[in-house]
Order: sequence, then C-alpha cells, then structure tokens
Amino acid sequence: MVVAADWAGVAQQVVAGLSSGGTYATLAVALVLIYRATGVVNFAQGELAMFSTFVAWTLTQHGFSYWPAFALTVAASFGGGIVLERVVIRPVERASVLTVAIVTIGLFFVVNGAAFWIWSPQVKSMPNAFSTRPIRIAGVAFSISDLGIIGVSLLAVLLLWFFFRFTKLGLAMRAAALNPESSRLTGIRVSWMIALGWGLATALGAVAGLMAAPPLGSFDQNFMQPILLYAFAGAVLGGIDSALGAVVGSLALGVFLNLLGTYVSWVGTDLRQAAALAVILGVLLVRPAGLFGEALVRRV
Amino acid sequence: MSRVVRIAAGLVVAAAAVALVLVLPYWLSDARAAEFARAGCFFIAILGLNLLTGYTGQISLGHGALMAVGAYTTAILTANHGFRDLWTIPLAGLVAMGAGFLLGLPARRLSGLYLALATFAFAVAMPALLKRFSGLTGGSQGINLFDKALSRSTGALGPVHVLGRTVATNDFLYYLTWGIGLVLAAAAWVLVRGRVGRAFRAVRDSEVAAASSGINTGFYKMLAFGISGFYAGVGGSLFVLVSNWFVSPTTFAFDKSLLLVVGAVVGGLGSLAGVALGALFIEFVPSWAGNVSNAPGAPSVFFGAAIVLVMILLPSGLGGVLRKLTEPLTTRLYTR
Amino acid sequence: MGKSRVLFGVLGALVAVAAASAGESATPGVTAKQILIGGTTPLSGPASAYAAVAKGADAYFKYVNDHGGVFGRSIKYKYVDDAYDPSQTIQKVRELVQNDKVFAIYNTLGTEQNLAVRSYLNQLKVPQLLVASGASTWGSDHKKYPWTIGYQPSYKGEATLYGRYIAKAKPRARIGVLYQNDDYGKELVAGLQRGLGKKAKLIVSKQGYDVTDTDVKSQIARLKSKRANTLMVFATPKFAIQSYSSARVLGWHPLVFVNVVASASNTMTIASLASSKRQTEGSISLAFLKDPINPRWANDKAVKLFRTILKKYNGGEGLTDYYNIYGMSSAFTLVDALKHAGKSPTRASVMRAVTHLNERNNPFVLPGIVVRTTSTDHFPIAQARLQRYHNGHWVYFGLLVRVG
Repeated sequence: MVVAADWAGVAQQVVAGLSSGGTYATLAVALVLIYRATGVVNFAQGELAMFSTFVAWTLTQHGFSYWPAFALTVAASFGGGIVLERVVIRPVERASVLTVAIVTIGLFFVVNGAAFWIWSPQVKSMPNAFSTRPIRIAGVAFSISDLGIIGVSLLAVLLLWFFFRFTKLGLAMRAAALNPESSRLTGIRVSWMIALGWGLATALGAVAGLMAAPPLGSFDQNFMQPILLYAFAGAVLGGIDSALGAVVGSLALGVFLNLLGTYVSWVGTDLRQAAALAVILGVLLVRPAGLFGEALVRRV
Repeated sequence: MSRVVRIAAGLVVAAAAVALVLVLPYWLSDARAAEFARAGCFFIAILGLNLLTGYTGQISLGHGALMAVGAYTTAILTANHGFRDLWTIPLAGLVAMGAGFLLGLPARRLSGLYLALATFAFAVAMPALLKRFSGLTGGSQGINLFDKALSRSTGALGPVHVLGRTVATNDFLYYLTWGIGLVLAAAAWVLVRGRVGRAFRAVRDSEVAAASSGINTGFYKMLAFGISGFYAGVGGSLFVLVSNWFVSPTTFAFDKSLLLVVGAVVGGLGSLAGVALGALFIEFVPSWAGNVSNAPGAPSVFFGAAIVLVMILLPSGLGGVLRKLTEPLTTRLYTR
Repeated sequence: MGKSRVLFGVLGALVAVAAASAGESATPGVTAKQILIGGTTPLSGPASAYAAVAKGADAYFKYVNDHGGVFGRSIKYKYVDDAYDPSQTIQKVRELVQNDKVFAIYNTLGTEQNLAVRSYLNQLKVPQLLVASGASTWGSDHKKYPWTIGYQPSYKGEATLYGRYIAKAKPRARIGVLYQNDDYGKELVAGLQRGLGKKAKLIVSKQGYDVTDTDVKSQIARLKSKRANTLMVFATPKFAIQSYSSARVLGWHPLVFVNVVASASNTMTIASLASSKRQTEGSISLAFLKDPINPRWANDKAVKLFRTILKKYNGGEGLTDYYNIYGMSSAFTLVDALKHAGKSPTRASVMRAVTHLNERNNPFVLPGIVVRTTSTDHFPIAQARLQRYHNGHWVYFGLLVRVG
C-alpha cells in the first residue's frame, strides 16, 4: 500500500509541500484575523483575494511591474475591506454569528460573479514575484520563489504580531475582540476596530492571492477556492485563534497533502483533499483547540 | 383557552398549506412545475437541516453530501437491483440516516467552527469518494436511470396514471415532492413539540445547562444528525427523479451544502414556514437572476446580493417576517 | 416481460412525444424563415474558458445570416449554461428539446455532459450534432447511437499518433505521463499505449491528477524521480502550464508532448512566461485548426475573416482565443450540412448530410484537411499535422497524417 520511498524523492515532496503550504498560510492568517475580531469565518476571503489579484493583473497589463502593482493593490484592498465591512457587515453586527456567516456566503457569490462579469474567463498569467531560477541543495531542487512565498507569510505574521503587541491601535483591536462591552466603556470604538480588522484581513488576502498566482503559472476566477479550503483547514489545525498556528498548520498541511497523495497509493490524488481533512479532524478530536490554540475552558 | 386557540390556528395554517400545494399546479406551466418539484426536494432537506441547526444548534456544512447519499442509494437500487424508483425513497432516507449518525459521531466532541470543518470535510470528500468507488457508483459518468432502468423510472416515459387519473410527469413529481414534504413537515412539527424537541432546544440553548439537567447531549446531537440525515436522504432521492433520473458526483458538489445552509438561514431558523420560503428562495432566485442578465457571472452577483440584502433587512429570515405578520393576529386572539 | 415491455414503452413515449410536438410543422425548429438549434456550454464554472466554442460558432452563424442564411432561413443558435455539470446539461437539453422545440442539439461541450444526454436524444431521434469533445465514442459507437456525431479528432487517435511517433523516432525514450483522472485523460493514456504497441513499456510512470487539485507539483516531481526524459501532458490548460513551471523549478527539461486541448498558442505563451523559453522549446503537439496567433496565418484569408467576424458580431472579443476558431470551424461544417439537408430540412435529412460530409473548403482547418464522414467513418476531422514549438510559436513538421 505504501510505495517504497527514496529519500531524495521524499525531501523533494516535502519541499513541494512547503511551497504549496506557503500559499495557504497567508490566507489562513487572514481567516484567523477576521475570526478573532468577529468570531466569524469569512467565506468570501478567498474570492476577495482573487478579486485583488485580478486588479493587480489589470495593473500589470497597463505598464506596472509586479511590486508596484502589488503595493497599490494591497493598499486598495485595505481600503476596500474597510468599505465592505461598513456597508455589508456592520448592519448585521449584532445579529447571530450564523447570520453574518451567511452574509459572507452571499459576498462569496457576489465577488466571484463580479470577477467573471468584469474579466473574461480566459486563463491569465501573473508575472513572478521572485526569481524562479532553481537552486539545488543536496539533490533537492527548489526556487527562490518558494522561499519568498514562505518568507512573505512569516513576515506578515511577524508584522501583525508586532502591530498587536506593541501599538496602541493593536491593543485596542485586541481588547475589542476579547471583550467588546468593556472596551466600549473605555472609549474604544469597537465597531471601527472590526472594520480595521476587515481591512487588514482583505489586504492580507491580496498578498495571499498575489503570492499564490505566479507559481500556479496561470490563474482564473476560481483559483482561490481550493486554497481557501486548505487555508481554512490549516488555520483550524493550527488553532483558529493563533496566527502563527495558522502558518505552521498550513505548512504542515501542504507537506502532509503531498506525501499522502504521492506515497499512499490508495489515496491517490482525488482523495487527497478528503484524506487530509479527515486527518485534521482526527487531530481535532484529540486536541480540540488545534495545535497552538488555547483550550477554551467553559465556566458553568 | 389559549392552548385550544393555538391548536386551532395551527390546524388552519396546516389546512391552508395543504390546499395551496394541491391547487398550485393549475396555475403553473409544466416547466414551472418541475422547478417547484426541485424546490420541494430542497424543502425536505432544509426541514432536516432546520431540525439540526435551528432546533439543536449544530452547524452542518455537509448536508449536500447527505442528499448525495440518498440520491445514489435510489440510483443504485433502481439501476442495478430492480427496484422501482419510488420504493427506494424511504430506503434512501434510511441509508442517509445512517450516514448522518456517522457524521454525528465527531459532532459530540466538536462544536462551532470545528464542527463546521468536520461537516465541510464530509461535503468535500463525497464527490471524490463517489468517483473513486466507480464500480458501485458509475464513477464520474454517474448513473443515468433513463438509460439503465427506464421502465422503473416513474414518469420518465410520459404521463403517470395514478388513482385513475392521468397526471403530467412534472405535475406528478410536484405532488410527490410536496406531498412527502408536507407529511415530513408534520412529523417534524410533532417531533419538535415532544420530548425530543425539548431536548434538542435545550442542547441548543445551553449545552452545559442541558448536561447538568441530565440530558445526554451527545446522544441527542447524534439523533439530530441522524434524523436530519433521513430528511436529506429523502430530498436527495427525490432530486434524482426530478433531475431527469440522473445523478453524478458533481450533482451534489460542495455548493449544494452551502446552498442548503443559505436556504435554512434565509428562510429563518426555528420556523417551519420559513423552511418553505428558504427552499423557494434558493430554487427561484438564481433563475430569476439569470433572467435579469445572462452575462457570465451576473446571475451570481444578483443571487449573492439578494442573500446579503435579505440578511441585512430581515435578520430573522423570511420566516421571521411571516411570524411577525401573524403575531398580531394570534396575540389578539390570546388577549381577551 | 422485460425487453418487449421496454420497447413498447419507448415506442409509446415516442408516439406521445411526437404527438405532443406535432403542433404546427412536422419538423420542430424549422420555419420558413428560421432554423432553431440549441446546445449547452459551460458559461460559468470550472470550464468556462471553453465558452468561446459557442461564442465563435454564434458569431459565424450571424455572419452567415447576414449573407442570406441557408436557403433563405437564418440560423438561430440558442446556447445555455450548464456550468459543466452533467445534471444541468440534462435539464437544459430537455428544456431545449421539449420547450424550445429545437431542430437539433449542436456543439454541446464536454464528454460526460454529452454522454448524459445521448440516449435521451437518440431515443427521441433528435440529432446530437458536432459534439464538442474528442472522446472516440461519438464515432465508434455510431451504430448504437446513430443520431450522435462528434467533430474533432479523437483523443485516442491523437495519443496513438504520439505513441507511434515516439516508437519510431525516440525508441529509447523514458516516458512519464501526467493525465487528468477522468475519461478524457484516461482515453489519451489508452491511445498512447496503443500507439506505442510493443514499446508500451517505455512508459516508466503515470501520474494522475484531479480537476479539483490546486497544482501538480508533486506529480511532476514523481515523474522526474523516475528519470523520465519524455513528458506526456494529457491535461487541460491550467495544469499543462503548471507542468512546465514545476518542471523548470526542478531543473527538469524533458521532451514534452502536450495534447491539443492545452496547446493553443496563448496557452503556450503563458507557459513560457511561467517557466522559461527553454522549457517550452521543442514541445510537440497536434494541430488541425489555424491558430489565430500563429504568425504563419497572420495574413491568411480565413484568419482575417475570423477577426472581422469577431469584431462585428462579438464586440471584438476573443481575437486570440483558439476556441473561437474551433467554434467557427464547427459552425462552417454545420452550415455545410444544412445546405446538403435540402430546401426542407428534416432531422433525418440533416443526419444523413452530416454522415456524408465531404467538405474540402473549410477555411478554418489546416490546408489539405477534408472534413469527411462516410457510412463507415464517423469522425469528421480525422487528419492533423504534428507541430513543434520553436522560438515562441508552433511550426508544423511532417505531413498531414490520419488520426484514428
């Protein structure tokens, strides 16, 4: 059942997995951000990231090179995320979590449809962020692009950590997420904190999309959907309230998916997704808070 | 006094519903009848999901996969084992019920987001599993009863002869789905008002409190999953018939699970009337959206916008509006 | 019991349907002024890139209508979205047949999608014309399903050609195969094995992927680890592009055979950008249509017509889209068949026309290709040329060969 492995081949698969996992990681952090701020999983996170990627692509078609387009798009996504929250989420702020979740599902349809409406379905390609020249170390090949992607997601987590830990605004956001009632009493505009959270998450999503698109070679309007699935799974595996956990969980998931699909022949490629999710569930049953999450102690 | 009034009001509503269902086809074209029949399948599935999410507070992103279980049970039994399609409906429900129980097993330990992921995983895995076990399921080509079991597919050949009358196929399917739907709705109504229903609501409102008052929350969660699985299975089984006697792994891709949740919440959780509205919403709004504009992506935009608008304007769903409308009526009857 | 009951039931159904649709004219979809044909195309969903197949055809019909139509009738092509889901295909096709009362179903895209409606259409004797799928069953099962016919060269035939070429020209190849794990991909694999014949053991590894996968990095890595020096890309454009980029990252430069579905010039351009010029250089594929971006056809009359038609009837969109020219070629053949179906076309007469094609003047196919069908050969396009990717565009080599 398990195919005999050669170690260079395994190492290669691990590297391939880390590289894929890197693309899930940044989106996973975005999911965690909104979850921590609002308690809701944003179903539209992937589509928003996709939309941002298309905007960046349009910029590259009009003369911008990758990094300027990247910067503009991330900034615009930040603004767009705030606007979105004010217009669509704020009205249902006080409603149940399920209501908000359904609103994000509605948003999923709107953004996905809008992307098809605005841009043609022909496949497009995104210029590379980093050089794709292969590097070989000890018989294993990978590229600067792979390292760059993993690096960017770690950088994003680092910046976020710094922001939340050392800035007043970050502290205010954390307070608002943890205890909205008390925060209001101390003068924190909780509602705006949530909007800010959405802005940051949408910006992060843009980064995720722009990291994911170039290595795929080509992308179309549906390209973020499988990534959202893995980002969700990776985030939950790592502990849904931990950004670092989201990154570690996503990387681990990427590696695990690759090894599973390659070496456990019964699983093959079509059951990889299902198998990976099943294993994550197994982990959750044993450690319900995920690898890095805080176990919630219920007070009676 | 109030109890009698409530029961009377309930009976009036029920009678009105039955009358509406019986009479509607006279005003419907054949194509519309087929659409209503499909909505009927969703109605049944959402009835079950409502029991699970609205009354027991358990989220499920996997009910599309449970519909698939029911659908394939019907397809396989009819195509390969000589059953007439109609007789497979309750069997499909039972098999899906079993699947629901299995899905409910992890539910006992998981909640909220983690349960969402678990059921999500089930929904994602189902098409892949269906393709993998192609010996049983026909793989990616699916099962085409029109090809394989034409004689056992009621209505596929032309009008159906029932109780001495001849009914057009789509009208027959309409009556079949909504008829079964009304019966199952009545069953759900009884369930909700009984001890099981109270236990469900206790689990929803506070698991800790329920556990402390001696309710076996794990058991009731599993039961809710199982029962809602039965409903989803019946809905899925009927969906095969309504979908021109064909099912393939992509028929119940993840989007159906999502659509069911949307239908349940838009309809208004915890309200049986809302379920019908929710089912009609997810069936008709996408096609209306398609009529507004056929440009690629446009129907999705309108459908999504409709969902967002309904949730913003009517946070307790369409059923909540219904209840608000009828509330003054019943309160007046109460206060004498 | 059993069979005769079924036959009776079917006949009964046919009578019922015929009686129901008798209505005005004996031939549904045909009036004095118009012929109505219908079909489904993935306008949304995972295969929406192929929507141009319908758009190109539609634009061509509009052009023909503006030039007198066919015997004074304009062709109305109603194509609807099935989101590449066979369940929806069945639904929409039934609506087209029963509600819209189309004359024929035409240019419906997808293998599973067409399989799902084939018996229904054949039972009702509704022509299923020029199916947009390369599965060989449309031609090889014609006796069982006489109302169905395909169009493009079969996948099996295409891969057989590659196999024969490798067996002759590269007898020491070590072949790695990347294939999509469905009927389309598996048919290509079967064709390759058939073409290799006794040399089938040159295949050192086969790696499948699912359309829902995000990437094929691990499959490519595995093929490389088996020391393959030849890579068969039996994949759709998205995954074909990834094969090139993943191979490049691994520093692997095999000889690549890329199937027709993924070898359109703009796909190859993207693949070169995503990997490198060196990576795509030397790739081999098959061609039967004039690719609109290929500089070889820059001043070709047909491609100029293609551009004019798209500008006038499609808002100038899709000028680089290979699928648009496929659509036009298919539409040209349909018009040809309608002309041979007589001044009062019936479903039977158009079926007879389409199974007796002898079309030498289709401007969109490569010179020398005859779109031909006979009572024993039900593959309309069964010729192609091998082409090699050199310096950023496709260059034909060798002669026109039979595919099949």
